[in-house]
Amino acid sequence: MSKFKKDGNNKAPGINTSSLPDIVFMLLFFFMVATTTKDSDPSVTVVQPEGVRASDMTPYKQRSEIDFIYLGKPRNKARAAEFNMGFALFLDNVAQPDPGDLYGTNTIGQWKRDKFNSKPTSMTKPIESVITCVKADQDAPTGIIFDIRKELQEIDALTIAYSVRDKGNI
Amino acid sequence: MARKEIPEINAGSMADIAFLLLIFFLVTTTMDKDTAYIRSIPKKVLIQNNEPVEVEKRNICGIQANNKNQLMVRGELMTNPDDISERVIEWYTENEKKNDVTNNFPMYSSISMSDIDAQIAAAEKAAEDVENTPGASSEIIDFKWKQVEEWENKKKALKLLGKSELREIQFQAHVRIEVQKQTAYELFAKIQSELEEAIFTLRDDAAKDIFGESYGTIKKRYDSNEGDKSKQAQTNEDKQKLDLLKILYPDRFIEVTPKR
Repeated sequence: MSKFKKDGNNKAPGINTSSLPDIVFMLLFFFMVATTTKDSDPSVTVVQPEGVRASDMTPYKQRSEIDFIYLGKPRNKARAAEFNMGFALFLDNVAQPDPGDLYGTNTIGQWKRDKFNSKPTSMTKPIESVITCVKADQDAPTGIIFDIRKELQEIDALTIAYSVRDKGNI
Repeated sequence: MARKEIPEINAGSMADIAFLLLIFFLVTTTMDKDTAYIRSIPKKVLIQNNEPVEVEKRNICGIQANNKNQLMVRGELMTNPDDISERVIEWYTENEKKNDVTNNFPMYSSISMSDIDAQIAAAEKAAEDVENTPGASSEIIDFKWKQVEEWENKKKALKLLGKSELREIQFQAHVRIEVQKQTAYELFAKIQSELEEAIFTLRDDAAKDIFGESYGTIKKRYDSNEGDKSKQAQTNEDKQKLDLLKILYPDRFIEVTPKR
């Protein structure tokens, strides 16, 4: 006679998964809070240079007071020859029929004005203080940046931001 | 009558739904924040002035970079771009305590409270005169009143500083960035970074000296409290502190459009 009851076909009890949704929701909320939406995938490659003490653009993004310009080499290498010194511009979302479109500096004025006019009047700050953020590749010639500046000056968009990767405080 | 029991809702697929949402957010968002140096572009000038304004050499802190990415600060070749901030700080502080006419750094002027009061009175009178002049354009009137406001701000700043005199850098003194068309953006960004570092260091030292807290702390608090009605008093105080630091070490940067 054995002390222990032998039970041949005893199955392992199932794991209680009722708290799984809670865990996943927790993760979900974390990511919703900690991240910002991607505006667009640029069709130019940009390797940003590093810098210190740069200002954070997140508050401007949240108030949509900022327009991004990407300046880099086209991902499609065959198209590089079309542009000044092989560097092309990619302008963020609005007023861009084809997401693969690349531009030279002469289109900035139109794009900026279109973006400005498409915003509801209650939200608009004067165009002088709407930031234009230039995300340029580290090898991009500065001459193009100054061409951009000139275009912006023409339409009185007088705030520019030079984007860098923040190295943190030293 | 027997109550009919409500069947329990099957929540087994809740996790799947949550996962779907989670994955959606993972894909469409980014973690990295955008950081940048904000600069303003000068307004377009309609009337070309043929006589350029004369600026003394000592008032210009010229930083030049050429097509080969070589760097020059105040006429001296530099091999390590990390040293720019030190040179800029030197340029700002050399004459800060005591003017030395023989060196090549910008002069400082001492303004006492009575000077400021006299300036306010003079500026107000000038503004009123212009207002009463028939045919004066509104831009000029605005400009004159802005000058009055500037002096009022200086008065507030001096009060906050709590000293008998305000040491102010020459009004023409500026940092001038001259690059050429082929200069790599990396170097241009490095110059901007070094300038920001220099200004931060100067203001931070002053802030610790005057208010006993760091410039970064004041700035962060001001940014986060801005627009919050309940912290209005704190915000106003911080704004005045920041204004004072800005008067002591103004960030006047000029970026020259390259010709070559």
